[in-house]
Amino acid sequence: MGVGNQDQTAFEFRGDWKEFFPIAASNLLLTLVTLGIYRFWATTRERRYFWSQTRFIDDTLEWTGTGKELFLGFLMAIVALILPVIGLQFLIQALILQGQTALAGALGLGFYVVLLFLAGFATFRALRYRLSRTHWHGIRGGSEDPGFRYGLSYIWKTLVGGLALGLLIPWSMTSLWADRWNQMSFGPHRFESAPEWGGLMKRFLLLYLVPVAAVILGVVAAVSSGGDPGGLGAMVGLLVLAFYVVLPLLALGYYAAFFREVVDTLSLTTINFQFTARTKEWFLLFLGNAGLFILALIAALIPISALGLFSGFTDLQPGQDPFAQNPGLIAGMVLALIIPMSLVGPFIRYRNWRFFIRNLEATGVIDLDLLTQSQTKVGSHGEGLFDALDMGAM
Amino acid sequence: MIPAWHYDGQTATRYEVYVVAQDDGLRLDLGEGRSDVAPWGDLFWIDKRDGASVFGRKGADGWRVGIPLPMTDLLVRRLPPQSRYGGLVDKFGIWPAVAGFTALSAAVVLVLWKAPDVVAPLVPMSWEQKMGDAMVGDLGGRICDGAEGQKALDALVRRIDPDAANLRVRIVNVDMVNAAALPGGQILIFRGLLQEAKNPDELAGVLGHEIGHVRNRDVMQALLRQMGLSLLLGGVGGDVGGALNSAISASYSRAAESRADDYAINLMRTANVSPLPTAGFFDRLAADERKLGKGAVAMSYMSSHPLSDERRKVFLASARKGAAYAPAVTPQQWRAIVDACANDPDVKEGDLF
Ligand SMILES: [Zn+2]
Repeated sequence: MGVGNQDQTAFEFRGDWKEFFPIAASNLLLTLVTLGIYRFWATTRERRYFWSQTRFIDDTLEWTGTGKELFLGFLMAIVALILPVIGLQFLIQALILQGQTALAGALGLGFYVVLLFLAGFATFRALRYRLSRTHWHGIRGGSEDPGFRYGLSYIWKTLVGGLALGLLIPWSMTSLWADRWNQMSFGPHRFESAPEWGGLMKRFLLLYLVPVAAVILGVVAAVSSGGDPGGLGAMVGLLVLAFYVVLPLLALGYYAAFFREVVDTLSLTTINFQFTARTKEWFLLFLGNAGLFILALIAALIPISALGLFSGFTDLQPGQDPFAQNPGLIAGMVLALIIPMSLVGPFIRYRNWRFFIRNLEATGVIDLDLLTQSQTKVGSHGEGLFDALDMGAM
Repeated sequence: MIPAWHYDGQTATRYEVYVVAQDDGLRLDLGEGRSDVAPWGDLFWIDKRDGASVFGRKGADGWRVGIPLPMTDLLVRRLPPQSRYGGLVDKFGIWPAVAGFTALSAAVVLVLWKAPDVVAPLVPMSWEQKMGDAMVGDLGGRICDGAEGQKALDALVRRIDPDAANLRVRIVNVDMVNAAALPGGQILIFRGLLQEAKNPDELAGVLGHEIGHVRNRDVMQALLRQMGLSLLLGGVGGDVGGALNSAISASYSRAAESRADDYAINLMRTANVSPLPTAGFFDRLAADERKLGKGAVAMSYMSSHPLSDERRKVFLASARKGAAYAPAVTPQQWRAIVDACANDPDVKEGDLF
């Protein structure tokens, strides 16, 4: 079967936000009344929708993960990882308070290395989990590698990337991407990833040099103006412009190039993947997400100010605790804030997924008879560790 | 014979098949005389896709059959129903489930709120002491533990509470008008409070109140309540600085505050120390607060101990007319307490957090 030609793209997202809204709204309701425990089932429902609305060639993807396994993964992560980490953190802080700074420092360094390992391990396991729960034509992906080796290479590659004044970050990012994907498979086939980092250096150096240039230019502007207020104002303006406008844009430009490079060099047997989004598309994605966020904030503030909920806090007497005085008011405010703000998350994830699928392409040929079932193990728990460390997708 | 599509989970090949409802299961006619029967109990609903209901089969990874909609009544009866929210919610329906979860959550919150009252007194004092030591330590050298000052302070503590052996009252070199009870019988008095107090009797009242919190196990209660709350909010924090911080600024319930006041008044009556200066001290702090505004007093005695008029009146009313009260400590001892930080050569200075 041929993949990706002029007439039809290989990947298509055909979701509809009006269809997604009831899912997001009922997820929010159930999450609120279960004190957050439903969120694992909510994530699962969300993904089932995204996957089922994503067509690859002639059939949609299918998400087969369950809320229960995510919940179990979360519990395991708490017991096996989060509690020891918290204990260690507690110990370090107690040592600092008791003046044992050297010991605390040594422990802190070890703690940092352990955290790095966990971050790498979790990233790997999350990718493995997602592939093993993604079915297409009844076939799924996975990995035989448990991810410990990846955790170790994550430690040293991150450290090396950072040590050379951060100049090797493009190397560590591409190399870690390849380490991850080369261990993944779909059906009987391994993914192959061979990104090059040399081509990314131009954009990275630009990103790297802007803060330096901005500071130099700022100082020059300040000195040449002889310290008059206009010159100082120009300097501050230049710095603000550099750090809040130019720098984020350049970072986005670098990331767009990075993502194109790593996806364009990814293949699965006879299929090659491509990613088409350029900096402009990434910028529009973020702009739209920010817009959603602002919209939700407005939606939250309208009922709050309309009901005059703030008035309860204006004539406080000294010593009064506003929260003890107005429990109903607080509950109202919290709800008015929580409802719109928690609906932003699902819709941002919806937009991100749509963006990802719309820009993903694949070309080549698939032989369906040779695409046999994956023999990799299916773990009984989800991304607990990953959720616990609060890392993003892809 | 209903036309359907099928993946066998072995390869990605899509088969066009016919399905037939049989007593023992769903039969798939695969063509060329081959067929496969999936027992009804093994089938589970997956989703609706391109006008068909899709089912999977337990124990067969990737096995799928897609039956076009609408399905015959017979198939609808035998095949598993559509699932939407997850097992439990689907079983009861969304609104009964929401009602049930709400009730359950309310019960959990209530238990977490009330349990500390019951559990706190059961926590062994030795555990509480260890927790207190871990939290406080020597506060990074900020304890004013010069011999004279500490000795005078201990004398004051023994004067108002003869049973003070398990208390550890110390002065902290932080410019903050506050005093706080921490786990394990630790009481911290901040330097700012000593500068604000005019005489030892005022300090005795504040101290008596904190001793009340210790004896009533209020500290442990607040700590447990806070742990329960953070458990609920999912943020299991391991932040000692934060724990210490919130213990200092913890405000107890109104009932706990007035019990602590009663305790202090009792101690002072037994020790024959006048409660009137304490009432005056509260008066001055309240006046300060009115002048400076609420923002200026965050993290201070006024924010953790709301200075209501009733509190002042309770102290006022407890004074006995014509009683021959004696000062809590001698003027020399009082000077030693006030100057404890100035006279401690190796104490570190600075903010706590
Ligand atoms: Zn109190």
